[in-house]
Amino acid sequence: MAAEDSSAPPSARFEEVLTISNRIEELSNSENEYEEMGTVANEHESANIAFINSITVPIRDKFQTETSMVQDDTLGEVLLFLEGNPNDFPLNNFGLPQLQRAKHKSFLEKAIGDYEPHMAPLDAARPWYTYWSLQGLSALGEDVSTYRDRVIATFKQCQHPEGGFGGGYGHLPHLAATYAATLSIAMVGGEAAYECINRKAMWHFLGRMKQADGGFTMAPGGEEDIRGAFCALVAMSLLNLPLELPPDAPARQQGLTNFLDNLGDWVSRCQTYEGGISAAPGNEAHGAYAFCGLGCLSIMGPPKETLNKYLDVPSLIHCLSSRHCAPECGYNGRTNKLVDGCYSHWIGGCWALVEAAAGKGLWNRGALGRYILSAAQFKKGGLIDKPGKRPDSYHTCYNLSGLSAVQHEYVFDEDVNSDIGQDNLGAPFHWKAEKQVEEGKVWGDEDVVAETHPVFVIPSQAATDCRKYFEANPGF
Amino acid sequence: MARKYYHDDPKWSDVAPLPQEDYGHHPLAAIAYTEEYSEAMGYLRACMAANEHSERVLELTEHIIGLNPAHYTVWLYRAQTLSALNSDLRAEIAWLNPTALQHLKNYQIWHHRQTIIDKLGSPDGEPAFITAMLDQDSKNYHVWSYRQWLVKRFDMFDGRELKWTEGMIDDDVRNNSAWNHRWFLVFGGTVGEGEKVERDVVVRELEYAQDAIRKAPQNQSPWNYLRGVIRRSGLPLSALQHFALEFADPENRPDDDVFSSHALDLLADIYAAAGKTELAVKALDLLATRYDPIRKTYWEYRKGLLEAEGRKEETGAASAAAVETAAA
Ligand SMILES: [Zn+2]
Repeated sequence: MAAEDSSAPPSARFEEVLTISNRIEELSNSENEYEEMGTVANEHESANIAFINSITVPIRDKFQTETSMVQDDTLGEVLLFLEGNPNDFPLNNFGLPQLQRAKHKSFLEKAIGDYEPHMAPLDAARPWYTYWSLQGLSALGEDVSTYRDRVIATFKQCQHPEGGFGGGYGHLPHLAATYAATLSIAMVGGEAAYECINRKAMWHFLGRMKQADGGFTMAPGGEEDIRGAFCALVAMSLLNLPLELPPDAPARQQGLTNFLDNLGDWVSRCQTYEGGISAAPGNEAHGAYAFCGLGCLSIMGPPKETLNKYLDVPSLIHCLSSRHCAPECGYNGRTNKLVDGCYSHWIGGCWALVEAAAGKGLWNRGALGRYILSAAQFKKGGLIDKPGKRPDSYHTCYNLSGLSAVQHEYVFDEDVNSDIGQDNLGAPFHWKAEKQVEEGKVWGDEDVVAETHPVFVIPSQAATDCRKYFEANPGF
Repeated sequence: MARKYYHDDPKWSDVAPLPQEDYGHHPLAAIAYTEEYSEAMGYLRACMAANEHSERVLELTEHIIGLNPAHYTVWLYRAQTLSALNSDLRAEIAWLNPTALQHLKNYQIWHHRQTIIDKLGSPDGEPAFITAMLDQDSKNYHVWSYRQWLVKRFDMFDGRELKWTEGMIDDDVRNNSAWNHRWFLVFGGTVGEGEKVERDVVVRELEYAQDAIRKAPQNQSPWNYLRGVIRRSGLPLSALQHFALEFADPENRPDDDVFSSHALDLLADIYAAAGKTELAVKALDLLATRYDPIRKTYWEYRKGLLEAEGRKEETGAASAAAVETAAA
């Protein structure tokens, strides 16, 4: 298959797009010339080609470097899928491949099934696999509460006696595992699931992760980065934990008393000169960390207040917007990196939070939808980074979550769910999914995935129910 | 590699392995562990429960890491043990080196290295090691982040590091990680996050980024750098107008004559700051319709801000006039 053969020569169309890019050097050419070059392309294909031409940047530097060369190779591969239909998927009304629900569903179900012994290297990532599959299945409209008993059995094994969750039985507690566990438990819901969390021990664990500079380490003796801050706040908010640091929290010795002490300023320090957000102060701006940073601030309070207070929002928007790759249609994670389907969520998911702070209409939903449907679906099921790559549950989850961000519009409104979330990091409970998006629509009804909570990235109802339960049962 | 077991090893006869607890239902993403992995984990759990830090624990962790290098618990416990035993950390680094190359994207390995080098108190050999890693993957996030930690920890904000970074940018002027590292060296270290930057440093940095842009004007990395330097130094954006006009000039050159969409983007902000709204709108229109149409809605949003700004200024001017009238 062409997609798996990276040594394949660039297609004629690729040369053509490069020619459009070179237009700057051939100013006398008329713009329509290129459309006549289509060979036997069918109607859909020519519509796709016309779209790609319409978003191609007509400037191309001659100066070649390693970056521009791999960039060209990638574009050649991606174009085959954006324009034609090499997977032979059935097409929707817009001429794009339909979302292969049944195939993706069975891929995700398999991903939480049993693994052969040689898969031991994913031993510490089992909470992630669980979260990615359950969220992916939820996006596909599946009822995941049927997994409740197995989720309980899984996370009882992973819970550490001193609080928090680890990758498996006897593993040290880790904030990534804690994040994945909390979200998975919230997704299956129900008292038995909620009650398997030792909240008091969790509170102590989170207290041990809090650092004097405001951030959080991922594990005892582990790295401090912005994932830690986000994951900790997600757990605190969903479980309605007190903001007061526990008495045994080491950060108390440096004078901190509250989980939020110095946190906003720490997130500020992660905003780079490019406007994006990095793992930790001084590092490079990166899409996945942008979502973590914005998620963290959106839990601390209404995004309009917190984003504007702690970030330079115009340069943030500039950086996020720059992540949209043309004409690939998907996002990349950093300046001059390659398009990758997981950023459909990491960047695509930022927009609801940013728009709540800065106003609507910042991004190109249609183009991203196109990348996900045309270039990120694997023939046999599951979604991928880019054509030529193998599917995995991480890229399946985040492409589907990205598609959800494309198709639904969210509004932050204090009056929504005003019966809950009045204190203890309650801000994220006041979102509502407003309507399905019409603008830039390239998906049919059969391609619509479920709405997803913009901060927690699980179904909104699951987040609300979990918080409601722990507001009704706040004691330890 | 030969399989390794502990149950018949006299060195471990005093330890009862802790098997994995079961909670009834079949767990999700369950792995059919090999007997070897399962047993080794059982002994590790027993050691952790007893808080044992010993040479045999080091051997055990090395064994498990060989079976599963992404096992953060084992790495963290190994680091604790090395520290408790006052082990030879140089030997640990020598052991780590070949492993790192195989697992460039592994968070644990880089964090472990950081913990060890921090304890060792010397960066000797590390810059060369990192450079070898970047030869394999010139934009690896963990490797660059580790280098930033190293520079900060050992105060390496010096000419040598800057020279090395220039070499990385020379190799690939589009390597944004190298640009970020340059920023970190120039503005993130001794200068401090909030402090004033020397004028000659600002001039040097502006020239450096401008030279890079002239090589490949559609490369966004140095454009972002340029904007960053202006913002950081407090200079007005208009300081870049003359330079940006080399690549686009919505006022005086035909619309076809644009050599960088990033120049238009910058000019739009320069014009807006100077109150030349019409020119700003023209630059944004060129971006939206022709030079960067995938971001059309974003350019339209920026136009919307200009109009809002314009209205604000009008009301502002009107009320200022009202105040003047009243004062007269
Ligand atoms: Zn990815």
